[in-house]
Amino acid sequence: MIDDLLRHPGLASGGDVDLMLDLRWRLHQHDNAEQVLSLFCELRRRLEHRHYLAFFRVRRWLEAHLIAVVTLGPSAAPCFAPVKVDHYCVEAVRRVSLCAALEHGGQLTAPRVVFAFKGTLLANAQA
Amino acid sequence: MKATTEKPTVATKKDTRLTESLNQVLADSYALMALSHLAHWNVEGSGFFQLHEAFEEHYKNLFEAIDEIAERIRALEALAPGGLITLGRMAGMDEFKSPMPQRDYVAALIVAHEKVVDDCTKARDVAGEVNDLETQDMMIGRIQWHQKTLWMLKSFLKA
Repeated sequence: MIDDLLRHPGLASGGDVDLMLDLRWRLHQHDNAEQVLSLFCELRRRLEHRHYLAFFRVRRWLEAHLIAVVTLGPSAAPCFAPVKVDHYCVEAVRRVSLCAALEHGGQLTAPRVVFAFKGTLLANAQA
Repeated sequence: MKATTEKPTVATKKDTRLTESLNQVLADSYALMALSHLAHWNVEGSGFFQLHEAFEEHYKNLFEAIDEIAERIRALEALAPGGLITLGRMAGMDEFKSPMPQRDYVAALIVAHEKVVDDCTKARDVAGEVNDLETQDMMIGRIQWHQKTLWMLKSFLKA
């Protein structure tokens, strides 16, 4: 999907292409979900209006492959929440994941939400 | 001149690959019909009237097609799967939840139509392999309709 966007003749700005290549590299590395989301949100703000379907497909892919690791307080055990990429900024996406985690109860003292790749999390858990 | 009608081979009627592929077309078409109906109800925004009507045309087309596909499965001497739970388990597409921006309804339905095209293509190819030209013809017709619908939906998304 990213490669199709890169091949598109409408992707004129050098800055857009740089960001796209950075995102492609980060996805390939599969190790920094925070950076991936940040890059994606930036690209979405710049380009989605011209490539809606492509960005929709990447959004759905990210939602299937990312997970939010949520801790509600310093002594709380981490829990997991889905990632919904409906917003254009990472902090809004983070807030939605926090709200999803809060639906299962718990006391909010010093919340922390970190994004991770599901596959990487699973591999680390098995190791 | 002697008129001949080539009868389908015994393998055609008993080939489970064909009915299995048609079962998948049936399940995914049913799911797409339900998603189109959901979008018809819940779409909002400046494109409401055209999308509301377009989605209605889609689910009505799918409703008739599903019946024809199920009856084709019966003609091939297999039982057609049915029921919301059974078809829901068989379907290979994600449901979407309302509310969504209107362009998200269109994009989500594009992805769903593409899945059905994929299913119909596989069924078409299997039908060709077992020399079931009637089923192949039916799948070609379905692919054509989905492709036309995809063109229209993708055109709506272009800025």
